[in-house]
Amino acid sequence: MSEPLIRMERVSKSYGQVKALAEANLTVGESEIIGLLGDNGAGKSTLIKVLSGAVPLTSGEIFVRGRKVSFKSTSDAIAHGIETIYQDSALVTQLSIVRNLFLGREPLRRPRFLNQMDHAKMERVARDLLKRVGISKDIPPNTPIGSLSGGERQSVAIARAMYFESDLIILDEPTNNLGVAETKGVLSFIRSARDSGHSCIFIAHNIHHVFQVVDRIVVMRRGQVVADDIDPRHTSVDAVERVITGMSEEEEG
Amino acid sequence: MKNRFLQGLLAKAELGPLILLIVEIAVFASLNSDFISILNISNTLAFTVELGLIALAMTLLMTSGEFDLSVGSVFGFSPVLMWTLANSGATSLVVAFFVAILIAALIGLINGWFVTRLKIPSFLVTLGMLLVVRGLALFMTNGFPQRTWSASGAWLPRILAGEFYIGDFRVYASIFWFLGSAIVLGYVLTRTKIGNWIQASGGNPNAARARGVNVNRTKAGLFVLCSVMSALAGTISSIRTSAANPDSGTGYELEVIAMVVIGGTALTGGRGTIVGTVLGVLILRIMRNGIVFVGVPGLAYNIFIGAIILGMMALHSGLERRHNAGA
Ligand SMILES: Nc1ncnc2c1ncn2[C@@H]1O[C@H](COP(=O)(O)OP(=O)(O)OP(=O)(O)O)[C@@H](O)[C@H]1O
Ligand SMILES: [Mg+2]
Repeated sequence: MSEPLIRMERVSKSYGQVKALAEANLTVGESEIIGLLGDNGAGKSTLIKVLSGAVPLTSGEIFVRGRKVSFKSTSDAIAHGIETIYQDSALVTQLSIVRNLFLGREPLRRPRFLNQMDHAKMERVARDLLKRVGISKDIPPNTPIGSLSGGERQSVAIARAMYFESDLIILDEPTNNLGVAETKGVLSFIRSARDSGHSCIFIAHNIHHVFQVVDRIVVMRRGQVVADDIDPRHTSVDAVERVITGMSEEEEG
Repeated sequence: MKNRFLQGLLAKAELGPLILLIVEIAVFASLNSDFISILNISNTLAFTVELGLIALAMTLLMTSGEFDLSVGSVFGFSPVLMWTLANSGATSLVVAFFVAILIAALIGLINGWFVTRLKIPSFLVTLGMLLVVRGLALFMTNGFPQRTWSASGAWLPRILAGEFYIGDFRVYASIFWFLGSAIVLGYVLTRTKIGNWIQASGGNPNAARARGVNVNRTKAGLFVLCSVMSALAGTISSIRTSAANPDSGTGYELEVIAMVVIGGTALTGGRGTIVGTVLGVLILRIMRNGIVFVGVPGLAYNIFIGAIILGMMALHSGLERRHNAGA
């Protein structure tokens, strides 16, 4: 069998005395959507912050397609195809949708020494992408991010991750504070991301949202991964809830 | 569609300054018909474009989220250095000019290094630099003006500040430097990849960094640009007036920053407009010229400038809030 996309081995992270992660293991396959569940403070955010280069790990190893990596910053992780989507912190609110989409990788017109952005190409790609993530309707690509809703901003971030061929898209509680329609939108982006070959880690407190889209459920408790192979198609919500709270401790052994 | 166009126009940060400029000119012209005389316009323009050069560079720097208080002292120091070198016979005027520009670039680099590497706010760094550079100018000259000579024959002074006539209208070469710089920097800010990086660096530096934008180098480069443009403005002014005072340029930093924010560039970074700055430069310089012209005591100038700044800030913040509300 070939190497998985991501393999995190015995990853630990301490904040002073607090052990936020205690030798957690996680693998993510190609084109796989993983639902990461766990109670408040279980270590979910810490795990994905380590994976996205936002915080350094205390010990443990991370492999991308079998190659050991060490991320010093989020841009390191992005360069390895790992994109994390926060509600809005990764976008520049003053800039337009197009300018955000291409920030750092602006296509240039010829002659290149004039450093002129190829705005026509950027807009063409942007329109197409926005349609794919479902917010094309009345929003021109030149709209500043500042005048978009939280859900729309997320869609822009997802569109960007999709266009630049991120292998893994991480969403930490993307459906928090979202309306019904926007939640639907985010869930369908996640599906469409998988359909176009991206993997995804999806964190949410609403188990029903997770059940709707993911291929596999991973549960964390007190800094450890306590279950990593729950199939939502063959497991009830109740059973998963018991794993999250630790009520099924005895049965698990 | 038409409605949208109208709304877009109203939301433009440049509209307020443009209206203000038109009103201002109309008021002064109606109070004194000599105000729009060829002589007055030509006199006003000469110094306007010199300050304007600094304001253009400051616009880009402020868009990137920083500002520079040392521009006025570099404006004074650079010509002093140039004339001192040239007078001493150590170098020709041309070489002295390029040495002065180079030193200014170094000053900008030091500003940029302190701000981006040591993470000291630009207010403190450039305030310190203001004192250092002004101190250097005073120390080098013992506080006395430097001897200058009428260099009108040589090619460099002619290129920088030579005067010529279009009919009765006298213009200095510096206006072409200003217009050229405005076009180039406007292009850089709005059309280029570098411009996108400048705006992103000011708007959300962490997001920009995550996308691989070199925020530190972008900002440091703009500090260099700002210093170099101040040196250019200072030497042009000095050649035009045949004077090199170690204390010239005092207080220009605040006037320049006022010009930039009146034009609609955000003091907090992320948004900047070269067109707005050109309007802001004209508004303040015409105000200074106009109130003297219509007989208001020159000492009252600051009252009007202060009022304009406050009024414009209120307008821009109002637009900003409507903008963020998604209007
Ligand atoms: N910056 C920090 N400094 C100190 N302790 C921290 C820090 N960040 C997280 N922790 C601690 O680490 C543990 C795990 O936190 P984490 O944010 O990963 O939980 P989570 O599973 O994402 O929880 P939630 O569902 O509430 O978002 C918690 O006990 C938390 O208090
Ligand atoms: Mg969390």
